[in-house]
Amino acid sequence: MRPDPQKMLQWIKPSPPTDKELECMKLLQPGDYEIYTEKLNNFLLESKEVFLKLGVSSMLRSGDLVTGIYTPTGDMVAAWCGTYLHAVVGQIPIKYIAETWINEPTVGCKDGDIFYLSDPLYGGIHNCDQIVVMPVFNDGELIAWTNAAVHQPETGACEPGGMPLTAKTRHDEGMLLSPIKIGENFKLREDLVEMCVNLISRAPRMQAIDMRARLSAADRLRGRLVTLAQEKGNDFVKGLFRRIIIEAEEGTRHRIKEWNDGYYRGVTFVDIVGEKHRLVRNFLTLHKEGDQLTWDFTGTSPETDSPQHCMPHALAANVAIHLMSYSFHDLPVSAGIFAPMEWIVPEGCMFNPHFEAAQSNSAPSCHGAMTLGNICMSKLMFDSPQRELVAAATGNTGVGVLVSGTNQWGVPISDFLAFGLNTEGHGARLDMDGVDAYGFSHCPTGRAPDIEDIENEFQFFNLVAKLSRDSGGFGKYRGGSGTEVIYVVNYVDYALYNSHVKGSKIRNCMGLFGGYPPPTLPGIEVKNTNIWEKLKRGDKDIPTGAVQLISERTIQGDYEIGSIFKKVHIMKNGDLWVIFSGGGGGYGDVLERDPGMVMEDLRKEVISRWTAENIYHLAYDHETLEMDEEKTKQLRQKEREDRISRGMTWDAFEKEWSQLRPAEEILEYYGSWPDGRKTREIIRM
Amino acid sequence: MGTKRQITEYLDIDLEKELWCCNRCGYVLISARENYKKGCLVYIRKDLNTIYNSPVKGPFGFAPDPTWAMLVEFYCPGCGTMVENEMLPPGHPVTYDIELDIDKLKEKHLLSGTDKQAKK
Ligand SMILES: [Zn+2]
Repeated sequence: MRPDPQKMLQWIKPSPPTDKELECMKLLQPGDYEIYTEKLNNFLLESKEVFLKLGVSSMLRSGDLVTGIYTPTGDMVAAWCGTYLHAVVGQIPIKYIAETWINEPTVGCKDGDIFYLSDPLYGGIHNCDQIVVMPVFNDGELIAWTNAAVHQPETGACEPGGMPLTAKTRHDEGMLLSPIKIGENFKLREDLVEMCVNLISRAPRMQAIDMRARLSAADRLRGRLVTLAQEKGNDFVKGLFRRIIIEAEEGTRHRIKEWNDGYYRGVTFVDIVGEKHRLVRNFLTLHKEGDQLTWDFTGTSPETDSPQHCMPHALAANVAIHLMSYSFHDLPVSAGIFAPMEWIVPEGCMFNPHFEAAQSNSAPSCHGAMTLGNICMSKLMFDSPQRELVAAATGNTGVGVLVSGTNQWGVPISDFLAFGLNTEGHGARLDMDGVDAYGFSHCPTGRAPDIEDIENEFQFFNLVAKLSRDSGGFGKYRGGSGTEVIYVVNYVDYALYNSHVKGSKIRNCMGLFGGYPPPTLPGIEVKNTNIWEKLKRGDKDIPTGAVQLISERTIQGDYEIGSIFKKVHIMKNGDLWVIFSGGGGGYGDVLERDPGMVMEDLRKEVISRWTAENIYHLAYDHETLEMDEEKTKQLRQKEREDRISRGMTWDAFEKEWSQLRPAEEILEYYGSWPDGRKTREIIRM
Repeated sequence: MGTKRQITEYLDIDLEKELWCCNRCGYVLISARENYKKGCLVYIRKDLNTIYNSPVKGPFGFAPDPTWAMLVEFYCPGCGTMVENEMLPPGHPVTYDIELDIDKLKEKHLLSGTDKQAKK
């Protein structure tokens, strides 16, 4: 039977050490811990390269993937990240298999077995994320597990792309695999592979190849661990693994202990439910006491009849991306980090729905919570030895741009256009700007695919792919810029396209300490264009950016400006559309930004003249772009005075603010206003 | 600096007096046991085109839809520094974002070594 959600949440934490493991730790000689931890990391790096070179789907090739090493009881020891979230949840199916299938006579577990799963109810994130798990045996003893996971953008659901916006229950979401033994003797069973390929018939080639890529990566890692055990002995491996987990736990506790006790709160808003623009809120109270952190998501909007849900363990894993890439970045990526943490995720909220709920949009539904983790941790770390790790939120738009149909090579595809996905803006930092086009919110190391590669693989021409002006949140330090891409349907008569990008109404990204949040993102499409004629003629007025496209309108066609979030629809040859990836949040007051840095942004066209003058209050010569320092100082002083004169006292503000309320229509799924409590039952068929 | 401790980019806590103060100008905002935002001057930015100069007007542009979101800005009454801001749906309560355990904070920084020993 499915594991209980609360049990899965607890499975993120390490199991207590056994006497045997503590005994085995004594086998490590001085220097062994350092040498062999590094060795494990090298094994992981190698398996990641194997994975990357053998797969075909776009996220896999962008490096948005993980390979990991786990103890025989399923505790995470080390992982190549990659997608930190997959490393964290990787523990759950292993613990489930260890508890359920190992001693089940019809299943069992022996050397060469291969397990496979995708169901979030058994520890996955959403059913796009397929995970292979392999036991590692040496001398007949189970000494470890390895895994390899990557998102696959097709699941055989009711819409192409694996994340159907119209899904009302899990029965609309296609292939959902509880952990099954899919192979024996180091080989996949072809009858079961055929079943999966058949279920993923919109993109069968991707399923057939990427299953093998996952297996190859996990098996390479397995082989290396066997060699290590043969060289050093099984007990040495046990001791090493436990030492890594303990080091991470002790390091985490020590660090938390130094921070200031208290409550740190944040709220973010998301503008999509199912196929509609509706408001929901995510609320976090982070309680720090002694060496413990408690993550309490009470106050988050209730579950809905949409696919924008996730399981509590998936929420924790998504929030952990920030923990592992910032707060505890220098500690081993292991289960030890979670030992001093508790998670409160009330039943019936969007992060802990009924098991029948659709949750194929699990990862994107966590972006608001990821912002909250980032912001609350930054407030917690400011007055601490970790001050240098303080930063505003990453873009967190989740640039899911999904395309399907038959490509120019006659191959049916259903995949991400992963450029925007991997080029979101980074949050501005305590002492510097965020990185422009830094990466993917779920995978800091992800890289945007090469444009030429995209054009070779897919039925699209990239008219524009560049940094988007004014897209990073303004502040003393600027949020990293996001990007803008213009895609044109090429080679084929038509293609299908949908977008899961959020943030046309309100962004779930936040600035920090007076830094502004980044701008919203409109959707732009132009149909029935004359783009090919213009390119053939060599016209000089082809737009080089989204704003130019819509303001000059030199390309003829039917312009539609609406939401960036799009249901699946047909785009014909020559039709084009714009996709923005969100910029990051700003840090600190705009009036404290070094005027020289504003000038530099202006020269690089990262910001517009309007922004330089109206936001940063910069005085400069429009011809020579030379700054007037004295005048800038005066303008900024004037703005400070204006703020003081327009600012209200708290009581006056409360009186005016409490009279306001959003339109009833957008609160359809919000829950009670303003505290987001459950107000109705969701009936699922 | 005296007994002040910097808690955010723009806020200090005076530990002896238990007060939130502006880090830039020293202005006393409010008791450290209160939400510092209540000691700030507050401005409701209803038209977000004043921050995000959207070339696209209408319900979908580069500035949030004002029926969905407004920006609440918190200024230091002494020097006009923007201490913090919040993007909120109209009327949504302002967040009490930093509620420190003031007693623990004082204990950490004000008690001498011998006092700490005695307390144990
Ligand atoms: Zn001040």
